Amino acid sequence: MKREHYRGTLTQTPVYLGKLLRMFFYQSDWKVLPMAAIIAGLVTFVTGKNMFFTQEGTLTGCFALVCVCIWNGFFNSIQVVCRERAIVKREHRAGMKIRAYIGAHMIYQCILCLLQTAITLGVCHVAEVRLPASGLITPWGIVDLFISLFLITYASDIMSLAVSCIVNNTTTAMTVMPFLLIIQLVFSGGFFELGGAAKKLTVLTVSRWGLQSLGTIGNYNSLPMVTLWNTIFKFKDMEIEGQKPVYMVIRYIEQNGLVDAVIQESGAYNQNPMFEYTVGNLLTCWLMLVLFIIVFGVLSCIALRFVDRDSR
Amino acid sequence: MELSINISEEIFQLCNNLLLCAGLWALFVKCGKAGWWALIPGFRYLKLGECAGREREGGVLILLDIALVALRIVRPMLDPEGNYIILVELAIVAALLMEIGFVIRVYGGLCRVFGRKSGWVAAWFFFESITALIWGFSPKFQPIHPEFWDEDGNEVDAGYVPANLPQMQEGADGVPLNQGLHINIRQRTVRDFMKKRYLLKNIQLAIPEGSLVLLLGGSGAGKTTFINAVTGYEKADAEILLKGKNVYDNYEDLMHRIGMVPQQDLLRMNDTVIHTLEDAALLRLPLGVKRSERNQRIEEVMDVLGLTAGKLGLVSKKSGGQKKRISIGTELITDPDLFILDEPDSGLDGVLARELFTKLRQIADQGKIVIAITHTPDRVVDLFDKVIVLARDSGRCGRLAFYGSPDEARAFFDRQTMEEIVMRVNREQEGGEGKADEYIAAFAEYRAAKKAESESAEKDTATTNQRTEAADET
Repeated sequence: MKREHYRGTLTQTPVYLGKLLRMFFYQSDWKVLPMAAIIAGLVTFVTGKNMFFTQEGTLTGCFALVCVCIWNGFFNSIQVVCRERAIVKREHRAGMKIRAYIGAHMIYQCILCLLQTAITLGVCHVAEVRLPASGLITPWGIVDLFISLFLITYASDIMSLAVSCIVNNTTTAMTVMPFLLIIQLVFSGGFFELGGAAKKLTVLTVSRWGLQSLGTIGNYNSLPMVTLWNTIFKFKDMEIEGQKPVYMVIRYIEQNGLVDAVIQESGAYNQNPMFEYTVGNLLTCWLMLVLFIIVFGVLSCIALRFVDRDSR
Repeated sequence: MELSINISEEIFQLCNNLLLCAGLWALFVKCGKAGWWALIPGFRYLKLGECAGREREGGVLILLDIALVALRIVRPMLDPEGNYIILVELAIVAALLMEIGFVIRVYGGLCRVFGRKSGWVAAWFFFESITALIWGFSPKFQPIHPEFWDEDGNEVDAGYVPANLPQMQEGADGVPLNQGLHINIRQRTVRDFMKKRYLLKNIQLAIPEGSLVLLLGGSGAGKTTFINAVTGYEKADAEILLKGKNVYDNYEDLMHRIGMVPQQDLLRMNDTVIHTLEDAALLRLPLGVKRSERNQRIEEVMDVLGLTAGKLGLVSKKSGGQKKRISIGTELITDPDLFILDEPDSGLDGVLARELFTKLRQIADQGKIVIAITHTPDRVVDLFDKVIVLARDSGRCGRLAFYGSPDEARAFFDRQTMEEIVMRVNREQEGGEGKADEYIAAFAEYRAAKKAESESAEKDTATTNQRTEAADET
């Protein structure tokens, strides 16, 4: 009897991709796009003015942007597999290739992340956020920024896809998600002071490499620091033996047009090797994010292979 | 002072190890192993795993031990400020956690083999050496073969499990071995944390092609387990032959020839009917099938199941009956030789259920084997050719209580309706008559008698033929 051949991983992938693209409309998956715009709008409204302008504004702004990307990524895929786990189990028994299914999800999520990144940057443009003029890898700062934001969103997206493949139901997925989010935010390594083992843990987070890449693109180390000047300014009315020495110093600096020089100089003392403005540094960040995508993609495939062991 | 504390700790560790070795030595001897394995760290857990019926876990423990030793050697070589040390530390923690899990499984296995309560796992875990001594030297602790214990910890007759497994018979139930569906399930077991449980045992039957078969049984009788074993979704110790091909050995080939419709409608609700069927066709039909043939098959399935009218609508907008028919359609698209349905009529009213089973009858009439589970069989029983009755015996295991035509079933159980038949074998707690064991035994005798009868008839025929031939020759 002639042995019949059925669709393999490569030929099944387009079928599942088509199914997912239909879901974009039928299941209202498109809603993630306006949601991305709203979140980006809120963040740029609060932190956008000083982003890529001062060190403090850049750090806060970049951290907020990383949070936006991680949030978008997590919400895109945290439920996509676990909500149809029983269907996956049935289809796997009938010949579905797990790699095809995950591959289709990864392609679909990639498209979603590209769109969300474009929307986020569009919102930044509309909100008149000053974006880096020149890039490190490409000649255009906005392209470097686009790649970084996309990789952060996509890495987070595939991480939550892996979670969705591991857990059995949407309730567990939504319980796990806040913990993952908090870990990403706390262990970003740039915003909260960490030391010892906690600092080493940052290498395992998407947020750390995301923040590092955005800070590098924004040339954090070359930006002025205003915290010192603002702090000194608070003490301008301090009197010592009837004199106001701080006020006198401030007036001297202002009268001689040295304010910019002072804040620029104070920035030079606040440089962070994490944001070293080099091609190697940015490429390392991107490679780490790509590594996360690969690792979590593989993990998703491995985890979903156990779907047949699910109890009825 | 520090020195004396360290020496005391060393002495304590040494004594602890000696006690452990002594206890395990005696324990291994009880289990028929060489006692000296207890002296070799690491390997002692391999042997302990064997004693506990947890060989795999014992093997993993050795690997974990080796990995831990390697990681502890590597750790001091790394830069304490570097990034790699955190990975090594994480790996050590993960290995330790896994080790704890596997050790608990081994101890759990020991409790099962020795017929002791699971509380002993804690004693083993926290006071390993003392517990090993007690178990090793106390005559009260003796291993008992795990298969001789049922899920309540009661000893079961050893003869309960057949020593020599029955072989598939040529022409069983009048069906040649290369035709129809031959089912020979010796046993289907699962391993719970503590013990092995039998879900099915000794089910042998053969279903001819073109049959619509009703699968009956009360709650927990093993109906779903049975169909999962037959389809190869959950393999049992069994031989399942579909048209002469072993389903388990040729699962990759045969899974497309078997359609299984589960109890729930496992469909993507936000997709259209036509796309659902198209995707099923794309994924399940062979690559050689042309687009026109594929489309034709989809049209045929929609026609048979009455789905053509609303094919562009979303699945979520369809009624319960229509969803069930879509679910059937996704399986029917490959034109399977064996088609199994788990409660296809759940949630359907009498008219719709009748309509659905009439369609199944039509499918069976095309030479297919259709097996259906239903809890309301009497409204459609006239459509069925055969009835399989599964019952849960006193050992809580699913057994074959009857296989034959509906009329034979009525005569065998002395009841008029299928629901009454189910009540015969259901447990008393479920409102049944609790006669499962009685009917399982009676059916075995009934079958043996039938077999003897048919063999005798064959012998008579052969003798008559011989006489006729001899007479002709004369």
